Amino acid sequence: MGILSRATRNLARRKTRAVLVIAALSLALTMLIVLPPSIQARQDITRQAVDYFVEINDYVTSTVTLSATEIQCSYPVGFDPEIVFSGKDVWFTQPLMNDTIYSQVLSIPDIINVIPLLRVLGTPDRPYAITGVPLDNASYQMDRTILPTNITAGRNLEVGDKGVVVLDLWTAQMIINPNIRAWLSDTGELVLNETTIEKLTAMVGGTITIEGHEFTVVGLAGESLTTGGAIMSLADAWEITNTTGQAWQYRIFADDINNVNTITARIQSIDPKLEVTSGVSQQNIAEPLKNQITTLTQTAQNNLNQIQGIGLMEIGIAVVAATAIILFLMLYSVRERTKEIGTLKAMGAGNGTILGQFMTEGVLLSLIAAVIAIALSVFVLPLLASLLLPAPVAFGPSIGPVSMSNQTLILYPDGVYFGDDPNFIPGQESNIIAASITPQILLMGLGAALLLGALGTLYPALKAARTKPAEAMRYE
Amino acid sequence: MNDCVLKIENLTKTYKLGKRNVQPLTNLDLEIGKGEFTAIMGPSGSGKTTLLNIIGCIDKATSGTVLLDGVDIAKMPESKLYKIRRDKIGFVFQNFNLLPYLNARENVELAMELAGKFKGQRKQRALELLGTVGLSGREQHRPQRLSQGEQQRVAIARALANDPAIILADEPTGNLDVTNKQEIVKLLSDLNQKQGTTIIMVTHDEQVAAQTHRMLILKDGKVAEHNQAKNKLPAASKGDFE
Repeated sequence: MGILSRATRNLARRKTRAVLVIAALSLALTMLIVLPPSIQARQDITRQAVDYFVEINDYVTSTVTLSATEIQCSYPVGFDPEIVFSGKDVWFTQPLMNDTIYSQVLSIPDIINVIPLLRVLGTPDRPYAITGVPLDNASYQMDRTILPTNITAGRNLEVGDKGVVVLDLWTAQMIINPNIRAWLSDTGELVLNETTIEKLTAMVGGTITIEGHEFTVVGLAGESLTTGGAIMSLADAWEITNTTGQAWQYRIFADDINNVNTITARIQSIDPKLEVTSGVSQQNIAEPLKNQITTLTQTAQNNLNQIQGIGLMEIGIAVVAATAIILFLMLYSVRERTKEIGTLKAMGAGNGTILGQFMTEGVLLSLIAAVIAIALSVFVLPLLASLLLPAPVAFGPSIGPVSMSNQTLILYPDGVYFGDDPNFIPGQESNIIAASITPQILLMGLGAALLLGALGTLYPALKAARTKPAEAMRYE
Repeated sequence: MNDCVLKIENLTKTYKLGKRNVQPLTNLDLEIGKGEFTAIMGPSGSGKTTLLNIIGCIDKATSGTVLLDGVDIAKMPESKLYKIRRDKIGFVFQNFNLLPYLNARENVELAMELAGKFKGQRKQRALELLGTVGLSGREQHRPQRLSQGEQQRVAIARALANDPAIILADEPTGNLDVTNKQEIVKLLSDLNQKQGTTIIMVTHDEQVAAQTHRMLILKDGKVAEHNQAKNKLPAASKGDFE
């Protein structure tokens, strides 16, 4: 008949009371076990969203700042009026800027970079344009639009590429079927049948001859009617079109947005025929966008704070409730068993024995409740979590007008999807971040239960241990 | 007198009852020899239970010396007193005070468990003791399934468990019917005669007291020997015992 056996029998003496207390205690402990991972999951969800917004914000800020300080200049596209009125196909011409203009532009103060781009328009012999872009990181970092943005097959151009070309789909289609003009849909997309798509895809890795030079096709870019054609390095384009040093367009970057207008005027003064445009008005677009993102971030953060606040409050309530349940039960038990304590003391039980007896009972009670709570929390986690905590604020799959990447963020009450599949169907396991009960959490729950049990029992047990035997024996 | 198992000198006990100071024991002297069966009688509130509690180390003397088995327990701190209670004293209470969730054997064993005795040893001794008090076959019964007389027998077996120097019985027959009362007194008397157990018994019942070797009357805070022959207490003093 050990101390544990006596504790068990004591609990069994008042079955209804023990069942009620264990039930209440289990509920409080279930809350304790369920809440931390649920809060954590919601934190993760919201943090992902916030991180995403911050990323977008940084991108928007840098892009808008860059485009607001960017000035573009080129000669307008021209055409031969005789051809227009002759009823033949119209072939536009693109006057190029020579290196004299380049030197003059470079001499303007407050400019940090000038990116020359070459475009040689198509001719009846070569019914597509040749585009040359400088393949260096500095230029690409300043303006990502100098390279094709949507590669549909193969790869994009890379730093150091030579003798390779990326074709836009329009150009590729014309190379394969020179006599068949592609159709454009109402939305301006190229209409291609499957056979054509297969043929186009097969071009990647193959070679084509442009202006008597052989090029390897490394990739295909989505439809592009303006800057596309056969896109290659500036050096290659200069060489095959005999236009070395010339440019169709300069992209010029001012060091500060306040200098943009002065620089624009200076460029215009080089040649009044030049078309000079700046992105200075872009900053007006940026503000509402940034405000929208700031609001979203703030909403997400407020939501997180609210979730954390409510969660912590509920954890507090659960801790207090669990401790109070044990405290009052054990206080009642000590009072009820005063005479028994007196008897035990009269029989020679020391303070430590009495303390141990009551501590064992309190801790045993919490242990039983903890086991039930653990079993319960595994089953009721999603339900209880949604009852106890507000759902993370839902932002939907797309955020504002910005599409910086293919990442999609979908938030659900019990999880979030964050991945690159816009057709993601909820319920799939991959990429779902949801609260889960790990063995560590269960161990922590068990530990918390034992700790609270011990804490709640300590005072009543000390009170029992310190009871004077003579007084206890007189107690009725 | 045999060897002295209990020697009390100049014992005074004072406590506060509301605003009033009560002194149930005043300069009390008492000696109990080894193997004596002593009854302490006296009117209600005369301090019988207080005296028994002080001897039993569950209450403290205000002054004086109480030598139990040669050890002065009057000035001993609680941290040591519980060992004296455990090893040298066996209590028998009016209300039996058995633990309701333990059976008869376990109630007896508990006393030995507190003294740190091994399980096998405890069980055997408990069964022996329950046999001694006439409860063979009833070892597995919990108190609520035993008659009051049987419960008091379990309590006596429990009191004997650790071979105490002295058994202190506080109104052991107070809650028993006539038959059970006689049986319990006989049991105590047998234990005393056959095993030489020293017993101090507080009782109101002169017939019960008359079964003992020695009757002491506690009055005005002091004890006096009662020299009347058995069963011949003066009728006039009878009312004092109610």
